[in-house]
Amino acid sequence: MLLEVLNNVFTIQIFLFIIMGVFTGICIGSLPGLTATMGVALVLPLTFGMEATPGILLLIGVYVGAIYGGSISAILLRTPGTPAAAATALDGYEFSKRGESGRALGISTISSFIGGVVSVMALWLISPQLAKLALRFNAPEFFLLAVFGLSIIASISGNSLAKGVLCGGLGIALSFMGIDSITGYPRFTFGNINLLSGMSFIPVMIGLFAMSQAFSTVENIFTADEVSQKVTKVWPTRSDWKVILKTAPVSGLIGTFIGIVPGAGAEIGAFVSYSQAKRFSKHPELFGTGIPEGIAAPEGGNNGVTGGALIPMLTMGVPGDAVAAILIGALTVQGLQPGPLLFTEHTTLVYSIFLGMFIANVTMLILGLSSLKFFVKILSIPKSILTPMIFVLCVVGSYAINTNFFDVGIMLFFGIIGYFMQKADVSVSPAVLGLILGPMAESNFRRALLMSEGSYSIFFASPIAWVFLILTIFTLGMPYVTSFLKARHKNIA
Amino acid sequence: MKKLLVLLSLLALVTGSVFAQGAAEVTADSYPSGPVSAIVPYSAGGGTDLVMRALADAAKASFPKNIAVENRTGGGGAVGMSYGANAKADGSVVTMITVELVTLPHTGTGAGLSYDQFTPIMMVNSAYSAITVKADSPYNTLNDFINAAKTSTMKVGNSGVGAIWHLAAAGLAKTAGVTFNHIPFDGAAPAITSLLGGHIDAVTVSYAEVASQVNAGNLKVLAVLAPERISATPNIPTAKELGYDVAIGTWRGLGVPKATPQPIVDKLYSIFSTAAKSDSFVNFMNSSNNIIDVMDGPSYQKKLAVDNEMFKALINELGLKQQ
Repeated sequence: MLLEVLNNVFTIQIFLFIIMGVFTGICIGSLPGLTATMGVALVLPLTFGMEATPGILLLIGVYVGAIYGGSISAILLRTPGTPAAAATALDGYEFSKRGESGRALGISTISSFIGGVVSVMALWLISPQLAKLALRFNAPEFFLLAVFGLSIIASISGNSLAKGVLCGGLGIALSFMGIDSITGYPRFTFGNINLLSGMSFIPVMIGLFAMSQAFSTVENIFTADEVSQKVTKVWPTRSDWKVILKTAPVSGLIGTFIGIVPGAGAEIGAFVSYSQAKRFSKHPELFGTGIPEGIAAPEGGNNGVTGGALIPMLTMGVPGDAVAAILIGALTVQGLQPGPLLFTEHTTLVYSIFLGMFIANVTMLILGLSSLKFFVKILSIPKSILTPMIFVLCVVGSYAINTNFFDVGIMLFFGIIGYFMQKADVSVSPAVLGLILGPMAESNFRRALLMSEGSYSIFFASPIAWVFLILTIFTLGMPYVTSFLKARHKNIA
Repeated sequence: MKKLLVLLSLLALVTGSVFAQGAAEVTADSYPSGPVSAIVPYSAGGGTDLVMRALADAAKASFPKNIAVENRTGGGGAVGMSYGANAKADGSVVTMITVELVTLPHTGTGAGLSYDQFTPIMMVNSAYSAITVKADSPYNTLNDFINAAKTSTMKVGNSGVGAIWHLAAAGLAKTAGVTFNHIPFDGAAPAITSLLGGHIDAVTVSYAEVASQVNAGNLKVLAVLAPERISATPNIPTAKELGYDVAIGTWRGLGVPKATPQPIVDKLYSIFSTAAKSDSFVNFMNSSNNIIDVMDGPSYQKKLAVDNEMFKALINELGLKQQ
């Protein structure tokens, strides 16, 4: 069997497809508006005429590359290339402001690799056991997972919790727009057909992060940059390595877990990892100021999702996220039925996917590290040229997601709002998180009550529900408890 | 300066490819002389998208200036179909129309969409609702299930409120004189996952969507809401045979704006009906569990009118109409 798998994967053709896939993925991922899901969907038709193994590995290459690629523009331009990199922009851009973008990209590349490898190991070693977990998730568990995710707002609010909560509330309120998923009633659509399917999330994100940043750059566009980029150091220093090795594997595991849960994708994996790293850090107050943990955690987390999302897909035919749903389509077209029978009937293929995914992660590491010096040069372009380019990228990116000009308007609107939020020193991330998790929380809350016919006890009915309840209470209460204990300790002393 | 050039050209490439949409004047006899876009009102990678891409791929030789599939999503399909209905009536934009064309207007979320804005070219495929339960469920026939629903509330999952599989479940309940507890999900896949986990009692999505789980022995289909048995699964009875006269399903087809000249419509029919017979398309449809169901323009037009009336009555009766 092992020999068969090695024979199957170690061919020039497969290696070329993986390299091509990862390269395409990095390019797609680093362009704002082109998401990992979209990249995989665009490459999908190419695989129709291929054999199963190279076809699937090409798609997985794109997936792995795109999730990593999003961090490049997040670090360099504060423009998350994919939603998965939204958390990376928090600390990543601070590095670039200091002229250390090379260091940041190095940390991100290696952390992504570690996160990816951890998830591949989980996929390889314990996927059947983990897969059963995905089926245990019912509406109440999804709701409580979303609430736990929202409690992260407390750790990404910057210096004012009140502003963060307000901003998160804004994001959740925005997610109420569009057709109500339980009754079908159109809410806050102002009779506009473009708002029927709700506020499109990518244009809002591009507006809040990238456009607002470009607006504020315009203020001092002709003053020369004082910060020169130190390109030379891409390989992390010893102290950075320590941080990476401490943070990324844990984040990879968290990401893997988030990936297994159907409906929770890489963007949630990144935020949860970031917040966990902050919570258990000795210096949580430094997060957001550009510290290595702030990159290693989300990047390890989002690439951890890649392997996790494949676990329920390969073992049960249940997609772990949107990309896995497309991969199911790709396997079906090949005449393969993802599900419990895949492991027994197509063992070679399944293990070839594991091995191929590992190679995809290695390829990502090599491609990433070798081209970082080129990426960093983007920042040496004068602002008067770079800023208009970012404007163009923002417009193109928000148009491309649905090929709809209405989304460009949304992007501009939130660009302006984001600009003033920046002036008021309000962190925009809680709004993005609210917009991501709002629909998940709301529809599952109401679905749960539909299922229980109105009884709230359904939220306390399963062990998983209790785990999330306790985690949420712990997350929200812990800072108060520690500060109380510290204060008492001081008093006694 | 060099890196700047590289960047600029990269930017031009990206911008160009996104905005590239030829708008060539087309006359009936020379059609298709310009590029043609095929509008898919749903997202890339979904079922409708895959069928359109496979069909476009099979037909690409007939389009000298290329046929490009374009996803215009939103409003449950209303955005893309409205765009297609209001496009230039010269055959430069072909739209994949789906059953939502005759359901959305009645639920009040169609944003002015109406089936008579299109001249249908042909129907491509159809799929009917399959009443599916867990393999270890105590119900082995549709009658078992309906009888159980008379005494207890059955949680029946669908792919979204007002969506076709919700209407299918509601149509069955109405015919059988029972009420279900309809649980809407965001698409068919999460509904199936929930059924696998034993959180709901049944789903009413298409057979293609549950086929892999049925083959794996995790789920079983009690009946299909089809006019006749599905050829791929001759053992599964139709609801009609069992005494519940209800057939509800989805279909996909191609349409062009109403004012499109007849010669262009005829040319498109000849191109796509040939493509639908090609080996590559047939293979794709078979391997993805899709049932090819080709219908020419005039018959398709009649089907649209019939379905429109049926769904109008059903939706009004269910009180799904929004103000």
